[in-house]
Amino acid sequence: MNAKKPLPGKLQKRLTLWEQMRSHGHSRRDFLKLCGWLAAAAGIEAGALSKVVHALETKPRPPVVWFHFQECTCCSESFIRSSHPLVADIVLDKISLDYTETLQAAAGHQAEKSLHDTMTKYKGQYLMLVEGSVPTADGGVHCCIGGRTALDIVTEAARDAQAIVAWGSCASNGCVQAARPNPTSATPIHKIISGKPIINVPGCPPIGEVMAGTIVHLLTFGRIPQLDSQGRPKAFYSRRVHDTCYRRPNFDAGLFAESFDDENARKGYCLYKLGCRGPTTYNACAVTRWNEGVSFPIQSGHGCIGCSEAGFWDNGPFYEELPSFPGFGIESTADSIGLTAVAAAAAGVAAHAAYAGLRRKADGEKDQDKGGE
Amino acid sequence: MTSQSRSLRLVYVWEKPVRLFHWLNALSLIVLGVTGYIIGNPPALMNSSEASFSYWFGINRFIHFLAAYIFVAAWIIRLYWSFAGNAHARWSAIVMLKKEQWGEVFRVFMTDILQVKGYDTRHSAGHNALACASYLVLGLVSLFQVLSGFTLYAGMSASWFPGLFTWVMRFFESEESLRQWHHISMWFFAVFLIFHLYIINFHDQRERKGLFSSIFNGFKVLEKD
Amino acid sequence: MAKRVVVDPITRIEGHLRIEAEIKDGKIVDAYSSGTMVRGLEIILQGRDPRDAWAYTQRACGVCTTVHALASVRTVEDALGISVPPNAELIRNLMFCAQYMQDHVVHFYHLHALDWVDVVNALKADPRQTSEIQKSISRWPKSSPKYFADVQARVKAFAESGQLGIFANAYWGHPAYKLPPEVNLLGVAHYLEALEWQKELVKVHTIFGGKNPHPNYLVGGVPCAINTEEVNALNADRLAHVGTLFDHAREFIEQVYIPDLLAVAGFYKDWGAIGGGLENYLAYGDLPTAGYNNPDSFKFPRGIIVGRNLAEVLPVDGNNAEEIQEFISHSWYEYSDGDQAGRHPYAGETKLNYTGPKPPYDQLNVDQKYSWLKTPRWKGKPMEVGPLARMLVAYASGREDAQEVVNSALKALNVPVAALFSTLGRTAARGLETQLVSNWSKEFYAQLLANIKNGDTSTFNGERWEPESWPAEARGVGMTEAPRGALAHWIVIKNRKIDNYQLVVPSTWNASPRDPQGQRSAYEAALVGTPVADPEQPVEILRTIHSFDPCIACAVH
Ligand code: HEM
Ligand code: HEM
Ligand code: NFV
Ligand code: SF4
Ligand code: SF4
Ligand code: F3S
Ligand SMILES: [Mg+2]
Repeated sequence: MNAKKPLPGKLQKRLTLWEQMRSHGHSRRDFLKLCGWLAAAAGIEAGALSKVVHALETKPRPPVVWFHFQECTCCSESFIRSSHPLVADIVLDKISLDYTETLQAAAGHQAEKSLHDTMTKYKGQYLMLVEGSVPTADGGVHCCIGGRTALDIVTEAARDAQAIVAWGSCASNGCVQAARPNPTSATPIHKIISGKPIINVPGCPPIGEVMAGTIVHLLTFGRIPQLDSQGRPKAFYSRRVHDTCYRRPNFDAGLFAESFDDENARKGYCLYKLGCRGPTTYNACAVTRWNEGVSFPIQSGHGCIGCSEAGFWDNGPFYEELPSFPGFGIESTADSIGLTAVAAAAAGVAAHAAYAGLRRKADGEKDQDKGGE
Repeated sequence: MTSQSRSLRLVYVWEKPVRLFHWLNALSLIVLGVTGYIIGNPPALMNSSEASFSYWFGINRFIHFLAAYIFVAAWIIRLYWSFAGNAHARWSAIVMLKKEQWGEVFRVFMTDILQVKGYDTRHSAGHNALACASYLVLGLVSLFQVLSGFTLYAGMSASWFPGLFTWVMRFFESEESLRQWHHISMWFFAVFLIFHLYIINFHDQRERKGLFSSIFNGFKVLEKD
Repeated sequence: MAKRVVVDPITRIEGHLRIEAEIKDGKIVDAYSSGTMVRGLEIILQGRDPRDAWAYTQRACGVCTTVHALASVRTVEDALGISVPPNAELIRNLMFCAQYMQDHVVHFYHLHALDWVDVVNALKADPRQTSEIQKSISRWPKSSPKYFADVQARVKAFAESGQLGIFANAYWGHPAYKLPPEVNLLGVAHYLEALEWQKELVKVHTIFGGKNPHPNYLVGGVPCAINTEEVNALNADRLAHVGTLFDHAREFIEQVYIPDLLAVAGFYKDWGAIGGGLENYLAYGDLPTAGYNNPDSFKFPRGIIVGRNLAEVLPVDGNNAEEIQEFISHSWYEYSDGDQAGRHPYAGETKLNYTGPKPPYDQLNVDQKYSWLKTPRWKGKPMEVGPLARMLVAYASGREDAQEVVNSALKALNVPVAALFSTLGRTAARGLETQLVSNWSKEFYAQLLANIKNGDTSTFNGERWEPESWPAEARGVGMTEAPRGALAHWIVIKNRKIDNYQLVVPSTWNASPRDPQGQRSAYEAALVGTPVADPEQPVEILRTIHSFDPCIACAVH
C-alpha cells in the first residue's frame, strides 16, 4: 500500500483556506502571516512563499462520497458523535461531503446526480468512504440502490477514487451479516477492490474520534496513515484493549469478577472471567474512550466483545472465556472437548491394560501347559 | 522366546543431549500446560486484597512465557542432535520415509495395540516405529504451539523474537480463534502423556529392556544376536 | 394514464428504501414501498447462545441502537422466567429516555427538517428579524442578531464555494417550501446546534453501557454495578453526570425543539389533512414503573385502536398465534407451507428467495414480490405504529399527561383533533412524546437515587444465568416501544441454544409491502392522496415518508 500518496491536489473553484479565513473575519494580513508561518514550518525559503500562498488560496475542500451498503448506520451515527473535530466543522469546512444517503438533502435521481457529478468532475481525486459490506451471493441482489447492486456501484466508484476508507467492521471484515452462515455472502471491501489504497477502520462501530481522526490525518498530513498488516491505522489500532485497560493491574493480580454485580464486579475487578475479549482485541477504546472520553465498555462493567476484530461474532459465547467450537454445541469449550479426549484416552489405556492382562494370563496358562511337557 | 534363553547386553541408546532434551521438554511442557490452563481458567479468588499487593497471575503468565523459551531451546537442541547424534537419535530413524519403517509401524500396532500374535516383535533398538510416529505428531503439535504461542505473545511483547511469528496471523481470522486453537492443543499433550507413560510401562513389563531407566541413564538392555 | 415515479434512494433515512408511486393529476393514486437490502440476522441467530442475542439484534440498527438490545434481553428473560432488579429497570428506562430524546431530535433537524426548511432561502433572511422570532418563541440564549448573522455568513460562504456537499441538487426554491427566510435561517441555525447537541445526551448510554452507538445490555439486569464508595462503579459523580446530561437535554427540547416544531407546523397546516393513511394503530407500550410483567404500570400504555375509534382501546397478546402474523406474499422469502398463509413469529421462518428483476432494473414487479420486508398483520389488519400510535393509544387510554400535551398543541396550532391523523400529526406527535419522555426521565432518575440512598444497589439477577439452570425448551416474547414504534422479538430456545428467533420491527409494520389480500401497509396507504406538484422534484413524497422516520435496516434485518 502506498503510504505517501498525496490526497486531492489542486482542483477547480472551491472554498479555499483564504476564503474560509475571510469568512471567519480574518484579514488578508492574518492570512499572509499564517502562510509565512506555514512556510517557515515547512522550511520553505522566502522566495517560494508566494507559491505557498497560491496553493492555500486555491486548494479547495476535498470531495468525499460516503456509501451505505449492508450496514446498520451506526458508523454514521458514531461519526456524528465526534467532538474533535466537530462533525459540522468537518462537513462544512474541511471536506465536501457530496454523497451520503443518511444526511444529504437530495433524494432519488438528484442524489444520484450528486454522486455522478463528483465522480466525473473530480475523477481520481475524490475520497471514497464505505460503510457496510457488499453481498456477493446471487449476483448481489441482497443490496440494491437505485436498481443497481452494491457490487456494481462499489466497483464503479472505486475505479476513480483516490483512496478508500472502509468504515467499521462491516466494511473491513463483514461484521454481523458475515457471521455464520453468512446468508448473503457479505464481503468486506478489501476483498472486492484491489489496486487502491484501502484504510480499514474496524469497530462496531469505530469510535467517532477515531473516524474523524482518520479523516483529519488524511487531510492534515496529506497522506495515508501508517497501516498494520490488516490495513488498520496504527495510530488507533496498534494496542490491545487489554494492554491499555485500566483494570489490567487486577488481571495481573488475579483479581476477577466472577459474576455481574458480585463483590468483585462492584470493585471494578478484571472482567476476564466474564468473557472479556480485551486480550485479543486491537482498538483505542481504553485510551481514547467513547463519547468524548466518558467511558468504554469495560469501565461500564461489561467485557469487551472484540467488536473491532475480524470474525468476532463467531467467537461467542461472549460470556465464556473462550469461544465454543462450532459443531460441538454451545457448551463445548476447548476444555470440555479436551477433557473428553483425556477421559477417552484413559479409558482406552485401561481397557488395553485389562485386555493385555487377560491375554497374558491365557498365554501364561498355555506356557505352563507347555512347560509341563 | 523364554526368559531362560535370553543372553543380554547393555546398549547405550540415549546420548546425553537426547536425555537433556527429554527432560527439559517434559518439564517445560508440564509447566506450560499447568500455567496455560490457569491462564485459561483462573481460579476464583474472592478476597479483599488489592491489586497493588499481588501479581500472581502476571507471574503465572511470566512462567508460561519462560517455559515457552525453554521449550523452544530444548527442541533446538534436539533438532541439532538429530543430525549430530547416534543412529537412534537421527532424524532418519524418526521421520518415516522408508518402507520398512511403515512396516514396523504396522507390526507394532498389530502386536502391541491390538495384541494380535504372529508378528515379528523384535522392534528396533531405539524407538520402535510406532513410538516414532507418536513423537513425530508430538513434534508437529509442539511446533504449532510454538507458532501460535509466540504469535499471541507478539502483541504483548516488544522483543524481536515473538515478532518473527506475526505472519502466522495470516492463517487465522482473529487472535481470538488462534487462542482457541492454542488452548485446545494443550489437551493433545495430556493425551500424549497418558499413552506415552502407559505404553512405556507396558513394554517395560513385557520386554524387560530397562526402558524406564533408559531415559535416565541412556542404556537399554537388549538381547545379544 | 398515471405516471410511475421512482424515488430510490430515499435519503435522510436509515437504510435502503425505494418508493414507486403512481401519480395522476398531481396526486399519488397508488404507491409501493420496497426495502432493497437484507442481511439475514434471523438466520444468523440460530444455534447461538440466547444471552448473546442482544448484541446481534442490536446491530439491526445503529440509529435506534438500544431498542433491539432491550427487546432481546426481555425476550430471553421472558422465556427463562427472569425478573430484573428495580434498579436495572430504572437504568434501562433512563437509557430508553435518552434514546428517544436524541433520536427524535436528530430525526427532526437532520432527517426531516430539510423537507420544510429551505436552506438556500435562509440567505435572504434578515438576521435581526430571526433574532426577534427566536426571542418571541423561547428564552433560548443563542438569539442575538449577531449570532444569526454569523450562521448566515457561514452558510453563504459555503454556498459561494460552489461545493454544496450534502445540500447539493436538492429541491431549494420548490413552491412547496412555505417558510419565510427568517424562519428558514432559524431552522438552519438549529440544524447546526442540534448536530452538536445530539452527541451529548447519548453519554448517558456511555455511562451505563460503555459506549454509544451500541451500548452494552445484559440478560438479567444491566452490566454496570452501583457502588457509592468506588471509583470503578456508578457512584455519586457518574450519577450526577447523568443528571446533568438530562437537564441540559431538557432545556434544548423545551426551548428549541418544541418551539421550532410548533413554529414550523404553523406554516404547514395543510399537511394536517395529508398523509393520514391507515386507520388502525398499535402500541406495545413501555417504560415500566412496577416491573415489565405489569403493563398497567407502563408510562406508555399498551393497546390497539381500530378505525380511528378513540373511544376504545383493544388489548394485544404477543403469545396468541392468531393475533400477530407475518406474511410474505409480496416479500422475497419462502415459507415451507406456501407463501399465502401468515405465520406467528414462534413458528416464523426466514428463507431468502429473491424473485425480483435482475439488476440493474428500472421498475419493480409490484404485482408479485417486491421487497425484503415481511408484512406483519394484527388479526389480519394492517397497523400503523410509531409516535402517533403511541400518543393516540395514550390519549384514548385516558392518560392525562398525554391528553394535556396533545390538547395544548392542537390549541396552539388551532387545528382539529382530526389533524392528528396526518403527516403533520405524525411529526407533531414525535415532538410531543419527546416532551413527555423528557419529563418522565426526571422521575426515573429520582427513583434510582432514592433506591440507592435506601441501600438497594442491586443491578443484576444471576439466578438463571448459567445455561444448566434452563429448561430443555423455552420460548418467550419481549416487547418494547422503539422510537419508530412497536417492536417485539420472539425466541424459541432448545437445548440451551436459539432454535428460532424472529424480530417484528416498527418499520416492518409501516414500510412493508401489501398483504395477500392486497391491503396496503402504512407508508403505501399514507402516500395515496399526497399531492406532488412536480414529479421530477418529489419533495412531498419525502415529507410523508419522512414523517414515519423510516429505518429499513431495522425493518428487514
Ligand atoms: C510431558 C512429558 C513427556 C514428553 C513430552 C515426552 C516425550 C518423549 C519423546 C519426544 C521421546 C523421544 C525421545 C527422543 O527420541 O528424543 C520420549 C522418549 C521416552 N520417554 Fe518421554 N516424555 C515425557 C515424559 C516422560 C516420563 C515422565 C517418562 C518416564 C519416567 C518418560 C520416559 C520415556 C522413555 C523411557 C522414552 C524412550 C522410549 C522409547 O524408546 O521410545 N517420558 N519421550
Ligand atoms: C507447547 C505447550 C504449550 C501449551 C500446552 C500451552 C498452553 C496454553 C494455554 C492452555 C493457554 C491458555 C489459553 C487461553 O485460554 O487463553 C495458553 C496461553 C498462552 N500461551 Fe501457551 N502453551 C504452550 C506453549 C506456548 C508457547 C511456546 C508460547 C510462546 C510464547 C505460548 C504463549 C502463550 C500466550 C501468549 C498465551 C496467552 C496468554 C494470555 O493471554 O495472557 N504458549 N497457553
Ligand atoms: N424501525 C425501527 Fe428501529 C426504531 N425505532 C427499531 O426497532 O430504527 Ni433503526
Ligand atoms: S460495523 Fe457494526 S456498527 Fe458499523 S454499520 Fe456494521 S454493524 Fe453497524
Ligand atoms: S477487563 Fe478485559 S481488557 Fe481489562 S484487564 Fe481484564 S481482561 Fe484485560
Ligand atoms: S467491544 Fe468494541 S468498543 Fe472497544 S472495548 Fe471492545 S473493541
Ligand atoms: Mg423478522
